[in-house]
Amino acid sequence: MEKSKFAECEARGLHKLINFRLPRYCFTLGLTITGLSILAMFVRAFALEGDTEWLKLLLQKTLLVGLLLISIAKDPIEDELIIKLRAQSYTYAFMTGVIYALVMPYVEFGVSNVLKPEGEAFHNLGDFQVLLFMLMVQVLCFNTLKRIR
Amino acid sequence: MENTIKVERAILSLTQDDLAKKIGVSRQTINSIEANRYVPSTVLALKLSEVFSKPVNDFFKLSEDD
Repeated sequence: MEKSKFAECEARGLHKLINFRLPRYCFTLGLTITGLSILAMFVRAFALEGDTEWLKLLLQKTLLVGLLLISIAKDPIEDELIIKLRAQSYTYAFMTGVIYALVMPYVEFGVSNVLKPEGEAFHNLGDFQVLLFMLMVQVLCFNTLKRIR
Repeated sequence: MENTIKVERAILSLTQDDLAKKIGVSRQTINSIEANRYVPSTVLALKLSEVFSKPVNDFFKLSEDD
């Protein structure tokens, strides 16, 4: 394949990926999955007994999937202003996510050592915590930007 | 960027919602453009030009800080 054709093909593929959005019904589906996951997390924490660690991990995954569906589902009227606001919200979520991942472990370490003399050992954040934070910031930021547009 | 879309809309007796439907955007987008909170793309500007039957320059003007 010629160099220019290869570049064109790559650019077309990239544009398809950038413009990819799920249909609107995925928003409702995402909301349902997120709501049910949170509800099931409460049930697991307060009502279930025994080793339910597998359920906790499963619910964390379904919660992330639900939020992702909300995040990439189309708006009822997906116009250029909405696309711009969505891009802004992803930028903001990415920046705050990086800061959160860098700062939060020190905050947790500091707080636990101030409150308890023995304290907790320093540990980095898990992927679930960072991804949940970023998705939540994106969804909230996007809705706020939409409200004040 | 300043614009006179509100005036052009009034001349044609169109509501924000009517204009939004004609060019395929949301009413809030028209509101943002009219309030100078959002500068539309060339495509949208040309669609507006088609609705108003006027060149883009007639209802979009550069302001001093542009």
